[in-house]
Amino acid sequence: MFVLLRHLDRVRREVALPRRQGANSLAVRHVDAGSCNACEHELTATAGPHYDLQRFGIDIVASPRHADVLLVTGPVTTRMRDALLAAYEAMPEPRRVAALGDCALGCGVLALATELAEPLEELLPVDIRIPGCPPSPEAIALALTESPAGE
Amino acid sequence: MSGSLPAAPAAQTLEERMARPSEFRAACAEELGRGGRFCGGYASTATGAPSWTALFAVGAMTHALRTVAIEGSVPSIVGLSGAAGWDEREAHDLHGLDFAGHEPLRPLVEHPAAPADWTVPVLGEGPYDVAVGPIHAGVIESGHFRFHVVGERILLIDPRLFHKHRGLERAAEGSRPEEGMAFAARACGACAVANSVAYAQACEAALDLVVDPDARRARTVLLELERLYNHLNDISAICAGVGFAPGTMAFAALKERAMRLNQELSGHRFLFGSIALGGSALEIDRPATERARAALRDLATDTALAWRELRFSASVQARLGGVGQLAPEDAIDLGAVGPSARATGIRLDTRTASPALAYPADFAPVIPEDPTGDVAARLEMRGLELPATFELLDSLLAEPLSPAPLRKSVEGTPERTSPQFVSEGVPSTDASPSRGVARVESPRGESVCVVEVVDGRIARLHLRTASYANWPALAHAATESLLPDFPLINKSFELCYACVDR
Repeated sequence: MFVLLRHLDRVRREVALPRRQGANSLAVRHVDAGSCNACEHELTATAGPHYDLQRFGIDIVASPRHADVLLVTGPVTTRMRDALLAAYEAMPEPRRVAALGDCALGCGVLALATELAEPLEELLPVDIRIPGCPPSPEAIALALTESPAGE
Repeated sequence: MSGSLPAAPAAQTLEERMARPSEFRAACAEELGRGGRFCGGYASTATGAPSWTALFAVGAMTHALRTVAIEGSVPSIVGLSGAAGWDEREAHDLHGLDFAGHEPLRPLVEHPAAPADWTVPVLGEGPYDVAVGPIHAGVIESGHFRFHVVGERILLIDPRLFHKHRGLERAAEGSRPEEGMAFAARACGACAVANSVAYAQACEAALDLVVDPDARRARTVLLELERLYNHLNDISAICAGVGFAPGTMAFAALKERAMRLNQELSGHRFLFGSIALGGSALEIDRPATERARAALRDLATDTALAWRELRFSASVQARLGGVGQLAPEDAIDLGAVGPSARATGIRLDTRTASPALAYPADFAPVIPEDPTGDVAARLEMRGLELPATFELLDSLLAEPLSPAPLRKSVEGTPERTSPQFVSEGVPSTDASPSRGVARVESPRGESVCVVEVVDGRIARLHLRTASYANWPALAHAATESLLPDFPLINKSFELCYACVDR
């Protein structure tokens, strides 16, 4: 345990992340609507020691009822459409939708058209766009910390 | 070794046989009886009439046994090998094939609304259902599980995946082989290299292309880099599964260093775009290989320290033993592959049957000293395999890598055996597509890719990944466990949903 904590302490010193300013918070609910899992890996990385999004008060929450932002990955398959809309409906107002990755933005999607529902932009009002395949953890962190959500 | 031409590059070979529907089952039983391992089945109409092909792995050989559907039906082999269960259910849903003897043939890809239409009926005193998903509590891929439980104990799990089905195999049809790569690569971010290499090798077999030693070494480097970040990720995930935050974060930090190294070496954190058909797209000069080797040595040292610390953390270890146990005979019947199979004591590793890659001749799979097949053994597999991966990478990167050109094999060279069509008096259905099959060891086990090319276009692409092979074994391993242990069991397999759903 001490070795692990010392290791983490060293990482923290080397990365030297700036401290948060202000006292805002943002609760994010992630929904995978058909991604290749790379966006999920990078989103998980933003909570890791090298990026530590929690220091900005940003957290991934378990229920859409706790969420300010619905963060969607993937091109929206027919089989995920209803679950995605149900998650959005469950969120309290005000709420924001973020499209994470090129698939969610409808760019360069590889799929059979008949297996996909409408593009995310047509299903839900997208407020935050994070391009990339997948977007780097820095890009995700930047987009979320600068997001207008929680106003 | 760079620059020299291959004398006789070995590759996995494919032996194809046709069987009458009435003889198909017996022929499959014979394959299994001779030590063949069922490694996938696929429906195809590339030859005209709908056909069904069962694949059996025999060392570096793949035996393909094909039969033609009569009135849309072929004989089921699920009674011979439980591993064929999902393949047959999928072929029914996506290709309309019926499997005589597979009763009930429950839907897999299709999602009927009523539970009675897709779940196993569970009767008796006190069982109830817990439905979870497709959306889960954290940053997790989408999939649905129906747990049949008594109290907190799991009697049976009906996994319902394919929420992320994008029709990638069908979407790839009609594209040129080099374009088709994108579909195999984007099936799954975390297994992109393994699936791309399997696709490339399958196409190369179908098209008679030769890959030079530098490209083979490049692919092996990429496969091991993929294994490295995945294993570090999986250890982190298992720590999260038992609520051990220092382990979760320490291994997440190690994984991040591996991802940054990927970026430096290939220009992409997930190594996307680094595999090319017939060659290699990877260029690493000597200063870069030396920097990478130094970074890998540092990472190996820190990983070893963190791993030892985890081993000595009694509170963590006490949570792992006996949870989600998989028996070796079930692992074999259900077709488990990769670390999940090796954790039960089965020495199965497709790296030992990959002559077209640059693994040393004496490469041998490791298994735990006490292969208990539980969460503890699956965690130990990751820790045991990491030193071998670091060692392999160090020796593979001893020389710089240059991009290799595409070459067509010279007629008459012994480097590739053309598929032998051993017909047993059955009229061939075909317009004879060029076929290729390749099997590659991903971080989760064997990924199998089948390609059929007609007139220079992909007529059929089939990708059966290690996650696909392992899901039935996972569901079986979790029976009799406590429901709250399922997330931990799930993480100990750490299977992808994306490359199952495709």
